Amino acid sequence: MIFDGKEEFVEALRRLVGEGVPPERIRVLTPFPLPEVDRILPRKRSNVRFFALIGAGTGTITGFALTILTTLSWPLIVGGKPIVSIPPFIIIAFALTILFGSLSTFLGFLLLSRLPSIRNIRSKEEYGNRFVILVEEGPTR
Amino acid sequence: MTDPEKYARADEDILKAMEKPGRAYLLGLGVTASLAVGGGLLWAYQIRNGLGVAGYTHPVNWAVYITNFVFWVGIAHSGTLISAVLYLFHARYRTSFNRPAEAMTVFALMVAGLFPLIHLGRSWVFYYLIPYPTERQLWVNFRSPLIWDVFAVGTYFTVSAVFFYVGMIPDLAIARRRREGIRKTIYAVLSLGWRGTGRQWRHYNMLYLFLASFATPLVASVHSVVSWDFAMSLLPGWHTTIFAPYFVAGAIFSGTAMVITLVVPMRKTFNLYRYITDDHFESIAKILLLTSLIVSYAYVIEFGLAWYSGNIFETELFRYRALGHYKVFFWIMVACNSIIPLTLFAMRLRRNIPYLLIVSLLVNVGMWLERFVIIVSSLSRDYDPYAWNALIYRPTYVEVGITLGAFGMFFMLYLLFVKTLPLLSISEIKEHL
Amino acid sequence: MNRRSFLRFLGWISGSTVMTACGKRDSRPKLTSYLLPPEEGIVPGEARYLPTTCTECPAGCGGLAKLREGRPVKLEGIPGHPVSDGGLCVRGQSSLYRLYHPERLRSPMVRNGGKHQRMTWEKAFSLAAEALKESRERGHRNFFLSGRTTGTLSALIDTFCGRLGILRLPEFEVYAHSAVKEANGLLFGKRDVPHYRIEEADFLLTVGADILETHVTPVAYTRKISRAKSRGDFLWFHVEPHFSLTGANADRRFAVAPGGERYLLAFLLREVVEKRASKSRPPREFMDVFPPSPAEEVSRSAGIPVEALREIGDRLVAAKRPLVIVGGVSAAHQGGLEAAVSAALMQWATGAIPERVDFARSENYRSVGTFRDVEELSARMGRGEAGVVFLLRTNPVFSLPQRFAFRENLKKAKLSVGMGDFLDETLREADLVLPLSHSLESWGDAEPRRGVVSLLQPMLPPLHDTLSDGDALLGLLRKASGEGPAGSYKNHLFEAWGKRLGDSGRSKLLEQGYVEATPPGKAIPPNWKKAASVLKDTGPAGEVAKPVLVLASSLRTFDGRSRSLPLLSEIPDPLTTITYGPWISVTPDMAKRSGLEDGDEVTIASSDWKVVLPVKVQPYLPEGVFVVHRDALESPPVRMQARTGEPVEYIEGVSFAKTGRQAALPILSGSFSQQGRGIIPDPAHLDESRRHKRWTLYPEHEHKDYRWGMAIDLDLCNGCSACVAACHVENNVPAAGKADHLKGREMSWLRIEPFYEKGEVEFLPMLCQHCDNAPCETVCPVFAAYHNPEGLNVQVYARCVGTRYCSNNCPYKVRRFNWRQHGWPEPQRLMLNPDVNAREVGVMEKCTFCIQRIRAAKDKAKDESRKVRDGEFTTACAQSCPTGALVFGNLLDAESRVSRLARSGRAYRVFESIGTEPSIHYLRGKHPGRKT
Repeated sequence: MIFDGKEEFVEALRRLVGEGVPPERIRVLTPFPLPEVDRILPRKRSNVRFFALIGAGTGTITGFALTILTTLSWPLIVGGKPIVSIPPFIIIAFALTILFGSLSTFLGFLLLSRLPSIRNIRSKEEYGNRFVILVEEGPTR
Repeated sequence: MTDPEKYARADEDILKAMEKPGRAYLLGLGVTASLAVGGGLLWAYQIRNGLGVAGYTHPVNWAVYITNFVFWVGIAHSGTLISAVLYLFHARYRTSFNRPAEAMTVFALMVAGLFPLIHLGRSWVFYYLIPYPTERQLWVNFRSPLIWDVFAVGTYFTVSAVFFYVGMIPDLAIARRRREGIRKTIYAVLSLGWRGTGRQWRHYNMLYLFLASFATPLVASVHSVVSWDFAMSLLPGWHTTIFAPYFVAGAIFSGTAMVITLVVPMRKTFNLYRYITDDHFESIAKILLLTSLIVSYAYVIEFGLAWYSGNIFETELFRYRALGHYKVFFWIMVACNSIIPLTLFAMRLRRNIPYLLIVSLLVNVGMWLERFVIIVSSLSRDYDPYAWNALIYRPTYVEVGITLGAFGMFFMLYLLFVKTLPLLSISEIKEHL
Repeated sequence: MNRRSFLRFLGWISGSTVMTACGKRDSRPKLTSYLLPPEEGIVPGEARYLPTTCTECPAGCGGLAKLREGRPVKLEGIPGHPVSDGGLCVRGQSSLYRLYHPERLRSPMVRNGGKHQRMTWEKAFSLAAEALKESRERGHRNFFLSGRTTGTLSALIDTFCGRLGILRLPEFEVYAHSAVKEANGLLFGKRDVPHYRIEEADFLLTVGADILETHVTPVAYTRKISRAKSRGDFLWFHVEPHFSLTGANADRRFAVAPGGERYLLAFLLREVVEKRASKSRPPREFMDVFPPSPAEEVSRSAGIPVEALREIGDRLVAAKRPLVIVGGVSAAHQGGLEAAVSAALMQWATGAIPERVDFARSENYRSVGTFRDVEELSARMGRGEAGVVFLLRTNPVFSLPQRFAFRENLKKAKLSVGMGDFLDETLREADLVLPLSHSLESWGDAEPRRGVVSLLQPMLPPLHDTLSDGDALLGLLRKASGEGPAGSYKNHLFEAWGKRLGDSGRSKLLEQGYVEATPPGKAIPPNWKKAASVLKDTGPAGEVAKPVLVLASSLRTFDGRSRSLPLLSEIPDPLTTITYGPWISVTPDMAKRSGLEDGDEVTIASSDWKVVLPVKVQPYLPEGVFVVHRDALESPPVRMQARTGEPVEYIEGVSFAKTGRQAALPILSGSFSQQGRGIIPDPAHLDESRRHKRWTLYPEHEHKDYRWGMAIDLDLCNGCSACVAACHVENNVPAAGKADHLKGREMSWLRIEPFYEKGEVEFLPMLCQHCDNAPCETVCPVFAAYHNPEGLNVQVYARCVGTRYCSNNCPYKVRRFNWRQHGWPEPQRLMLNPDVNAREVGVMEKCTFCIQRIRAAKDKAKDESRKVRDGEFTTACAQSCPTGALVFGNLLDAESRVSRLARSGRAYRVFESIGTEPSIHYLRGKHPGRKT
């Protein structure tokens, strides 16, 4: 089903779910995100967040490991400070937390969204600004 | 007008900018590109003959190059502020600015990243600054603020670039649809085959939220780290605890000014009045005003602390800053950054776009001079009076040329951006139509 | 930084480096390793030390040349040498630059039209021999004029002149001390400059004598003063008409009107004679002739306040062992003889002869003549009497006044033969130029002081086609007379030494570089009649016409002879911190009145002469006086004292006008005031800094075996800058040049900071402080600056990428950046110290505490399974210091000299409150008599 307007689309989607079509079988394509879709077709929250957590954690650990281990591998005194000077290392760990966190979130997004998709890159099928509802075949409830 | 018509018009309006360039555009591109190339040649000349071709007068060991570095990193900041922080605050007017601001961030960081290399005595061994296992068995000194810079700016650039790109994916899909031939293929590849399914949008929103959350602390941290290049030293005029917030505010201040500088002509050229309204400009002018006040407060506090401390080194330095060799720059800076922006308290002036453009240009000047004054005047008057130089630091043609080259490179990249990529966030605009 | 930006940067960088790297980089000559030593006695990588004598000025200090791979790379003082005792001055340290100077004469040359053409020695000798023969036939007189020569060479010149019928003139020196010699000749029958034993005195009054700069034997005097100071009861007053480094270092300095010295000294003589309890009193006849003058009148004519007169007089009367030295500009005026006679009589009257004024060991100036002698020579040449004129290592064209017309008259000689090492003003006029070897390439000896024989020996074969002084003379003698001593000058010398010193004496000379005989001094009574005849009209007389231009001697170039050494222009003049001169010093008042600032050009003119020079405002310079160093002026219009032949080193009644132009004058000091920062604290200041105990978050790091440190005694340091020169040579520190200095880009690792405060000047040697908590180390991103376990702040040039952050963060600003690639013109490259690498463009460098010397000492100690002993070695600066102000050593060893000094009550550290914990301890306090 293809709609030009947002309201008709939302209405149709709501009707479809009301008719008992299982939400798993409904796929929608929209030109921009619609909060209504999430309300009508409840799904569990995106797992991208776990990627963020793991990435950030890895970054923190890498930051401290990198700084501490490398300074210990060739201990050089500078400015009368201890070899392992934690305060400056926090800055490195912080930067790596953010870096790894965002990169891993991005990767998570690509993975979960099945992107990049060669098939879609090559596909000529375009819906433009229209709202589309696709229903996979299968038994109705 | 119905929704579908509005959507189509948004596509049309915004993507129109990407059509065949006019003469003025090509002229601009030519000028900026030649400036950039000229800067590159001067850099080569400098590498060949040593840093002596620049105007450094010991003890002024840092000057225009580091000024440029801090300036461009500062410019980068408002991009993140607008795209990330305002996103988290659900500020609607961000939609009008976020794409140009993000592009500006990425390009400004590209330019900024060059300057620490340009200013090195031995640019050809710049990789000594990068931590990786080498046959020299030596890593880098993580206690040095310059290494913090490498990490902070490197992270910032990566995150900003990802953020910029992610925000563009749905728009690239629109560009794919509306273009033919090889360009269609390029946009198709760049859009990664985005289709806008419900699932994609769900993950996309989560990604965007997280990227915004990751980028937000960067707004504060990156320029704090840059400020520590100075604050961690023991030089009077640099060694002060207020530098981090002071520099962050200054960065947002200058970045916001640069956004205005870029967006006003862009709106006019590409006729985007429908999407970027005067209301939007007024909101962003308020940011400018607020940060100007913070920066001015820092100026006052710096002098106040020096006076109150009674420390002979500090007192002399601040006397010198306001009344010494570089006083002209100091007072221009005060005028541009603290006095002229005060006029934005008047709503009429805030909404007067040409006036706003002039203020933002002056703020750019003022903020460049702020960094210059902080760096050069502090270095000129440190502890041992014997080492003071009677000679005032003057940049040579090499430094001026490389600085102009940096501006050339930045605007060249920006001009390329407006012709090749969707210059506003189309899907977001549609969302709010 | 991510991959994209990395690649981007890589592209930029590689593009630009490829562009710049085209061509020159790989055209370096191929290096071959030095496995088979070509000569005996050369061990690759090991230094040899051979004794020599410094020939940069007539003082004749003992030098120890450090040889690496058969070439001298450094000169040091010989500890124990009777003249210099281990010290070497800034000129001596720089004299290696003379050996390796790219502009040295490389072969004999003959004038052909306006140009000099190269020729062989054989031809040159024939030419001279021919000319001598012709001159004999035509009845012309031949002349031989040299700079001061001593020892065997002087005797050889006598032989040379005797055999060839050449008239040997008294030697020519600008600083010939003629007035003092004349006075001593009149009074004691000894036309000599006596040896002053300053170390024996408890009160020293120097009048005009710049004993720390050029006067007779400055290194010796400097060491003597340090020795006297260390005794604790020494007091030193200095009187001078201008302002000199010597004056800056005296305990009290008094300005005298130019030419007023004789009134002052006559007054003091009367004070001493009348008030001092002494056995030796002048006869009544003398006192009757010698007119008394009231203090007020003397004060007026000498330009000294009455209180000052009385103070000096009282000190002279009260002191147990006073010593008066007059000389320099104070003897170089029309009343110079009176001044010198008064001083000499005072020495007798205070019992200084022979204990403190030793004529038996007088400085060897007897063969030196006066300006009168050269005036006469010039006149005779002008009359066309001269056949062949020999000029050996002397530059009268530069030094003599235009009035003497030496340059013009020299051309009238049938043949002028110039012998020297550079094409200086005189050699440029010579018909035949014979290039002489440097003293480090020649055999020879010197007898700077009677009884002291000091060795010269070749360290390397001559770099160019040159002969030593002796060999050139012998060769010429043989050619011209067909006979003469066979063999080389070396044989001649060995024979002469054998005859004079005996075999054992000769071996000792060759081994330690000097031998010293100790002739006993004896008291001599003055000739009162002659004294009276000189002093009978010393009563106050008319004023000297002001403003007056004083021609001062230069610490850096002596009388101008060391001008061509690039290092000496690179090292700042300690009083003004000007590097590349010349300049004229002007009093602050005059500058204010005329609206002059440093660098403004002025025209100074007398009736028939003028010069344009940039101005330096010189605090403490007396009113009505300008000072210019003698090296700045070619042929200055000086007059001559009729009685002594000493030049008058004043140009009276000069006029002065602004030109309105500004000259680029590199003044290195940014501030001559401490700006209240307590760099050299008052003692009160010192106590305050003690009261604040610093605390730190971090534990102190541990030192292994050694912790190197230095103590610098500011009460001894006199700013002579010998350390600066030593550091330059030892560490291959390049000369940056004037253009760089104008931008503050000097390269010296060590500098002397003068601070003018409360009527005094104090000097502070500033070098890397090797801070325990060094701010430079923390900020270096690549560990180029780090701290080694022995407390050294190390700079690794190969790691340095040139961020210059370390320099920004250094409170002492002692780090030097290579703004460009510095080069050493051939053959200067040969003098580079192979133990220290020459730095590349774009890296930071700084004082290393001579880490190469530390290494060498530690290696030696390790071979002998022990620790390095205190005093076993020292840094180049400390080695050279004539005052002994610099002491280097191990701070962990509680008994080392440096530890004891660091613990002394006088010790402090610069900017202690910042918490950098420097390893350099400065010492300053009230030493007895010092005015504070």
